[in-house]
This record gives sequence, structure tokens and C-alpha cells, in this order.
Amino acid sequence: MKKDSMKAVLVLMLMVCLVGSLFAAGAKESAPAKEVVTLEWWTWDSEEYNEASQRAMVKEFEASHPNIKINMTLLPTKGFETKMTTALGAGVGGPDVAFFSVANWYPKALVLDEYIKRDNFDTGMYYKGFWDTKTQFNGKTIGLPLGVGASIVMYNKDLFDAAGVAYPTNDWTTDEYLEIAKKVANPAKKVWGAEILTRPFRAIWFNHGENARLYSPDSTKVDGYLNSPESLAAYEWFYDLMRSGVTPTVSDMATLSTENTGPIDLFMANRLAMATLNQGHMLNAVKAGKNFGVVREPGVGDNPRHVNAWSLLVGIWEGSQHPEEAWTFLKWYVGPEGQKFLMDNANLFPSIDSVAKQYKDADKDYVKGFLEVLNDTQVAIWRGAHPSGTKVEASITDLWDKIKLGLITKDQIKGELNALVPKAQAVLDEAKKTLLY
Amino acid sequence: MKTETTFEAMKRAHRRRQITTSVVTHSFMILLSVIFLLPIFWMFSTAIKSRWDIFLWPPVLFPEVPQWVNFRDVFTRVPMFRFIGNTFYLIVLKTIGELLAVPLIAYGFARLKFPGKGIFFMLVISTMMIPLQTKLIPLYSMYVKAGMIDTYWPLVLPAFSGTPFFIFLLIQYMKTMPRDLDDAAKIDGVGTFGILYRILLPLCIPALTIIVTYTFLWTWNEFLQPLIYLNSYEKFTIQMGLEMFKGIWSVEWNLLMAATLSTMTPVLVMYFFAQKHLIGGIASVGMKG
Amino acid sequence: MVTKQVKRSKAAVKEALCGYLSISPWVLGFIVLTFIPILSTIYYSFTRWTMMDKPVWIGLENYIHMFTKEPLFYQSVKATALYVLMSLPVILIFGVLLSLLLNMKIKGMNFYRTLFYIPAVISGVSIAMLWTWLLQPDVGIVNSVLSFFGIQGPKWFWDPKWALPSVASMSLWKVGGSAVIYLAGLQNIPPQLYEAARIDGAGKLRIFFKITIPLLTPTLFFQLIIQMIEAFKVFTEAYVITKGGPLKATYFYLLYFYEEGFQHFNTGYASALILILVVIIMAMTMFVNYTSKRWVYYEGEDKAR
Repeated sequence: MKKDSMKAVLVLMLMVCLVGSLFAAGAKESAPAKEVVTLEWWTWDSEEYNEASQRAMVKEFEASHPNIKINMTLLPTKGFETKMTTALGAGVGGPDVAFFSVANWYPKALVLDEYIKRDNFDTGMYYKGFWDTKTQFNGKTIGLPLGVGASIVMYNKDLFDAAGVAYPTNDWTTDEYLEIAKKVANPAKKVWGAEILTRPFRAIWFNHGENARLYSPDSTKVDGYLNSPESLAAYEWFYDLMRSGVTPTVSDMATLSTENTGPIDLFMANRLAMATLNQGHMLNAVKAGKNFGVVREPGVGDNPRHVNAWSLLVGIWEGSQHPEEAWTFLKWYVGPEGQKFLMDNANLFPSIDSVAKQYKDADKDYVKGFLEVLNDTQVAIWRGAHPSGTKVEASITDLWDKIKLGLITKDQIKGELNALVPKAQAVLDEAKKTLLY
Repeated sequence: MKTETTFEAMKRAHRRRQITTSVVTHSFMILLSVIFLLPIFWMFSTAIKSRWDIFLWPPVLFPEVPQWVNFRDVFTRVPMFRFIGNTFYLIVLKTIGELLAVPLIAYGFARLKFPGKGIFFMLVISTMMIPLQTKLIPLYSMYVKAGMIDTYWPLVLPAFSGTPFFIFLLIQYMKTMPRDLDDAAKIDGVGTFGILYRILLPLCIPALTIIVTYTFLWTWNEFLQPLIYLNSYEKFTIQMGLEMFKGIWSVEWNLLMAATLSTMTPVLVMYFFAQKHLIGGIASVGMKG
Repeated sequence: MVTKQVKRSKAAVKEALCGYLSISPWVLGFIVLTFIPILSTIYYSFTRWTMMDKPVWIGLENYIHMFTKEPLFYQSVKATALYVLMSLPVILIFGVLLSLLLNMKIKGMNFYRTLFYIPAVISGVSIAMLWTWLLQPDVGIVNSVLSFFGIQGPKWFWDPKWALPSVASMSLWKVGGSAVIYLAGLQNIPPQLYEAARIDGAGKLRIFFKITIPLLTPTLFFQLIIQMIEAFKVFTEAYVITKGGPLKATYFYLLYFYEEGFQHFNTGYASALILILVVIIMAMTMFVNYTSKRWVYYEGEDKAR
């Protein structure tokens, strides 16, 4: 009898302890949450928003939001991708807020539609083109667009004046591009006219025609696109560019582009008369006092003009422990407050029209030239649609190399393209199996 | 009389040969040095230029106005001193770890017999075949769950388990040592591990110097693991600091070269002084007879 | 007699236990830091996985695709194999020669040794950049020197035929690092042997081939294994300079793995690629290990146990 009663008492005590601890834990959680929440924000710096301005922005945010603290992790750009891929792939230890700059990461971004609706967040304040192309994945909103960027052609006015050539205008064509490049170049002094395109499928390609793309808009068919007349015309134009003798050598370009930085170094050394660069490079040129002009990429005939434009998608990791606070930070950071702050204290070109109108140098020529370019149709659409498209693009590398290095003749290009179609199709079919849509 | 002359003649010929060898060797070394130093010259030349003057044509070897300020900027733009300090801290911890673990492990393979030794040895070697990138995600997952992210633990712990390269190196080194030493020590009553610590290890100084040198070097040059495991800016290491000069749209070559040169110097200085131990093992090795 | 046997087996057990104890730090680290990650790699190799969603089991499909439908696989194996064959002899031979040079007692040798160590100190990316400048077809030093002799140098990294040898030549840079290891090995050769040989009237070459090399074989074996493994893992040069080109001449195995895993996010397939690489390297290593019994001489193993 005594043993049984002892057992019973023990069991009872155990139960009391268990229940008690549950209450204690529950009590802690239900306590008013005016404790400070710390958010992990992973970012990088650039000409448009450097470290100092981002840290100052954080201070500004924390001042008006005392219950949220931001841990800013500043990473080198190349490292950012590796770290994000590792964390997102591991499924743990990811940031609360970060750039979702790689399309393959989209499935790991928190869907924001509920938050937007609940808070009546006005997404119409953003430029429509960027909103449509950048923030949507599988019909859902996965982030907000920070700033705007685009590829533009910058030309060195001093070199043009020295060669006595008229400046290019926004309605120029790819043929005029070649002509101008030949006239401004001065190979004896190693001054080049134009740079070597790193790859196709940017503005110039689409300016040749919508069918110059790699595969059909629904990502199923290669035949009729890669080998279309428009596509062939684009490749043949590139061939002419490479044989014109007014581009830097392949090895020059490779050396300077080892970090994917493009021809900015040559342009700034007054050795490249025209270069397809972007707004970040533009800011460098302004800072260095270069005498330059801005024009959009050349077109083909009367075809509609395209622009290779982008906006940085900032999103919330779906594994975030504090989605509510992360959303509060996100809509401040990529909303009018944050973008205005970065515009005033750094050099961000905002993606919000009302804020952009207050840009301090709005009257300068280069700013006007840049903003005008943003009105064209964006190329970005087709690339984001199929993340596995990187592999299909890689299948044309050999042909690109052959044209760059002069290993084939112009009339062989058509045959090469036709031969590539079945190979690219096989890669496309294989890649579609990993399609995330 | 005759023997004297021939002896003197021999001495003269020998000295002539000595001088010729010396001259030939020296000129050869100087030639090689120039070749090896060429990239350093280029790096230095780039480091003292202003940002947009690096790619002028014709190339300028020494700019008119050398931008010595670049070397200062390297340390102000990025908290490089802090990063160097962090890296030194890591080096010390890892060196301790390696020096504790590697001799013990190598001794087991080199001198002791146990079943499965061959398989274990192949496993040690096979670890070197696996590129780091494959292990990143599982390791990251583990460390997150252990709460070790944004600490130096993930970077230091592997050293306490021994780097396979060092284990293999020391095994080879120990195998060249005659077993007479072990036997003599046993007769004197020295225990199994006593043989390691009192007899063999003192003779392995050159190999241990290599371990210290390489740990220093590899930790100094490490980028991927600190990137993945560290979040706080003030904890970053040297290579991460260097990467900050590579912006998203352009690279600040002059600062990058200045930074690389600056961070290279301590390693070379350390190596210069470590050499004595590398080459100084001769006296202790000749214990035969 | 029975007691002797018992004593011997007791000693053997004690030795085995000591053996396990001494390698225990490594075993522990191996299980946590290598074995478990490899298990997940093996698992993923049988799935289709983009890292961003759940893995889908597809059995041997990755392997079948690799061996039957993927020309890139064979291209990368070929490029890597050629690289190994080209660079390995260079590294080994020049490494030994350099270490002999650096072992000489000449004034300022400390300085020279540090000098040749410099390339090892500069990270791979910077070295790659420097070599791009050296081998630049128009203004690079190598071609400038060649044109001085009236030879038109090839386009090195930009010529499909010369790209791979150019990359292989970059391994010359690394000999400074391996010379250090040989130096340590050279220290282990008792000087009495040299003296005895010289007294016997042996010439320098004979001494080299009959004394130095044989006693250096443990170090040579070590370097052969290490450099071979490293050669199979060649990556940075292709990633920074040639991007695998031109026309896939330098499309090394790890570059292929990197593109599949980190650019195309085809991680299941990339896991399979890595496992095949490990198997290949393992096979080569075991082969070298097997032949080593014939040509490696351990002084400490003279009294074979």
C-alpha cells in the first residue's frame, strides 16, 4: 500500500511540475511583446548606396522604430551569392531581409500579398514596368523593388571631338553604331571605338526583333527563335563588330572583366570611345569629372526599342522568425522613406516616381538621358521567366567563342545556329524538369 | 717541392671552381628572382596609381604623382587592422589545435599497429579529395543548429581534429626515422606515448615548422569559410576585407593591389624567420653511430 | 611458450588500443565534418534537387545522364586528365630541382627562399590575374620577348590549342611552395652518407641518384599524392581567366561541377559529379599507393615488422 501511494505521489508531483513549466513558458510568450526584436539584414555596398549611408539609414529607422534593431551584415558582392545560396539551401540560418538577386532563390522568399493587403500598402507608387517584371513569381508578390538601373551607352565627348564625329542620338541604329565606332577609334594609340558584348540576349538582340530570343516565350521551343532570321541578323552584326578592328582584343576584355566589371576601366582611361555601361558607372564618371554623354543602345530599323533595365528585389526569407518586424523594415526601407534617404545621402535612383522627382541632379543631362531610357520595353522579362535558362544560354557559348576569336566565317554562322537548335532543345527539355514554376 | 706545387695548383683550381659555381649560381638566382619579382613590381606599380590611371596607354611604370595615400586608404576604407588582428587570432588557435592533434594522429599511423589501419589511412587521404563546396550546406546546417554561426568555432574546430595534409606529411617524416630509437627508448622504460613526445617529436621540427607555416598561410588566404560562417563585420578576416575592394560594378585595382601587398608582408616576414627551423634540423638528425 | 604468446598478444592489444586512442581526434572530426556531409551528398546524388525545394528521388538517372547523354562530362574529364598529365611532372621535377638549389649554402639564400615562396602567398585569383598579364598576346612579356627573337607568339589563353598548356604552365608558379616540403625532406638525409660517398670518390650526379633521390622518396611519394589530388581539383585558373574556354579546352571537372551546382542549381546532379570525381581520384591514389611499395624507401621501416 505504502509503495503504491508513494508512486502516486511521485506521479502527481511530476504532473504538477510539467503543467507548471508549461504555464511558465506560456506566460513568457504571452507577455506584452515590447521586447526588442533583432533582424538580420544582409546587404552589399555599391556606388549607389555605400556602407556609410546604409548604416545611417539603419539608425534613422531604429530611431522611429524603437522595438526593432537591425544587424546589418555587409558582404562583398561575390560572397553575397555564395552565402545566400548556402543559407537558403540549408534551410536554416538565413537572413530576415536581403536582396533576392538570383532568380533561383525566389521559392525561398516570403509571399507578401497578405501583408500588402492588410496594411493597404500602395504598390502603385513603384514604376509599373519594374513592379511587373521584378516582383512577381508564380503570380505572387515576393518582394519590393529597390531603385532602378539600366544599361546605357556612355560616350566620351572628348574623343568624339578629337575625331570630329557627331555625337550619337537616341534614334541611332546598329549600322550607325559600327560606323561611328570605326571613325572614333584610333588603334595606333590603342583607343577603341566600342567594346565586345559579353553575351547576347540584351537590348541590341531584342531590337533586331522579338524572335531573336533564345527560345519561345512559353519556354518550350528553340526552333524558330535561335535560328530565326532576326537572330541570324544579330549574330552577323556581332560578327561584323568583332572583325571591325575597333574593339579591344578578347584578352584585353577578359583581363578587365575578370570580376565581371565590364569595360569601365578602359572607358575611364579614355581608351574606349563608347561603352555599354550602367548608372553605377555613370556615377563614377561624374565623380571623376569626365566629359561624357548618355544615349540608349542602338536599334534596328523601325523596330521597337528595348532596354536592359532592372530593379533590385528585396525580400523576406520564408524561414524568418520575425516576419512581422521584417515586413515593417522592408516597407520602410524600400518604401518612400528609405529610398528618399538613400537618394539624398547616397546616389540611389529611386524606383518610386514621386521620390525620383526630387532627385537633386534631375536637371543634369546624364540624369535626363538615363531616365529617358527607362521608358523602353524591358528585356528582363524573358530571363526571369525560366531560371534554368542559364544552362540553355550556356549551350551557345562555343558559337560565341568562335565568333569572338574569328574561328569561323560569316556565312558559316547560319549553319552553326541550325546545328545548335537540337542541342539547345535537349538542354531546354532537361532543364525544364527543374522548373520551379 | 713538387707535391707542394701540385697541392697549391689543386687548391687554386678548386678555388676557381668554387668561384665559377658561385658566380653561375648567383646569376641564375638573380635571373629567377627577377622573373618571380616581376608580378610584384606590377602590383606595386598599380598600387601607387590613382584609380583611373591604371590602364593608360602606353602603360606607365612609375606614375608622376605616386599615390602613397592608397596604402593608408586601404586601412581606413576597410577596418584592415582589425581584420588582420582577427586573422592572427584564428592562426594562433588553429596552430595550437594542429600541433596538439597532428603529432598524436601521425604517430598512430607511423608507428603503431592496429587492425584497419590501412583503411583509416585511405580515409584520411580521401578527405583531401572532397572539395569544400560540397560540404558547405550540410556543415552550415549543423553549425546553425549548434548555435556556432557568427563565431570562430567553425573555423577553429577542424584544426583540433588534424588537417589530413599535415597528418600525411608527419607520417612520412616519422617513417624515415629509424626504429632503433624507439627500441632504445623502450629498453630505457619509456612508454608508448613517451616515445612520441620525448624522442620522435623533437626530431620533427622541420615538419612541424611546415605545419606552422602552412597553417599561417592557409588561414591568411582563407575566404570561403569565413564568408559563410561569419556575419558581423568586425569579425571578418583579411580576404573578406580584400574582397570589399571589388565593387558590384567595378574593381578598385589600385587599392586592391595596395591591400594585397600590405597583407602579404607579414606572411613573408614570418616565413623568413621560420626558415631557420626548417633548415636547422641537420644537427639533430645525425644520431647514427 | 604459451606465456610468451599471451604476452605478445597482450602487447598487441595494448598497442592497438594506443593506436586507436592516438587517431581518435581525427576520427571524431572525420565523422562530424566529413562523413555526415558525404552521406547527404550521396543521398542527393540520387535525387533531382535545386536546393530551393524538396529533393525528388530519381534513382540512377543522374548517373545515367552523366555517362550516356552528356558530352560536357567527357569534355571535362578529358580536359582535367590532360591537365594532370601536363602539370604533374612539371611540378614534381621543378620542385625537387628548386629545393636542391635552395639547399645550397650561399649567401643570401634565406632571402631567395622567401622570394620563391611569394607566389604561394598571393591568393589564386591574384596569381591568375598576373598570369593573364604575362601571357597577354599583344603586350604581355612572354610574347614581347618572343617577338624580340622574331617569333610570333600564340594567343595563349585565347587559342584553343594553347589554352590548356598555358594553364598547366601556371603550376610552375606553385613550385616554391612544394620546394619547402622537399627542403624539409632533404634535411633528413644524414650528412654522414654524403661524406662517406665523397670519400669513396662518388661524383655529384651519382650521389644525387643513389643517395639523395632514394632517401627523398618518402617526400616524393607525399608530393605525388598531394599534387595529384590538387591537380584533379584545378578550378581557379579556369574560373578566373578562361571560363572553361575557348571551345571548352579548359573546361575542368570542378568548373563543370561549379556551373551545374551553383549557376544552374542542378544540385542533385552536381552531387553525383563530385562522387564520381572522388572515386576517380581514389582509384588513382590507391594505384600510386600500391606501386609505392616498390619505389619508396623508408629508413625507419628497414627492419620490417
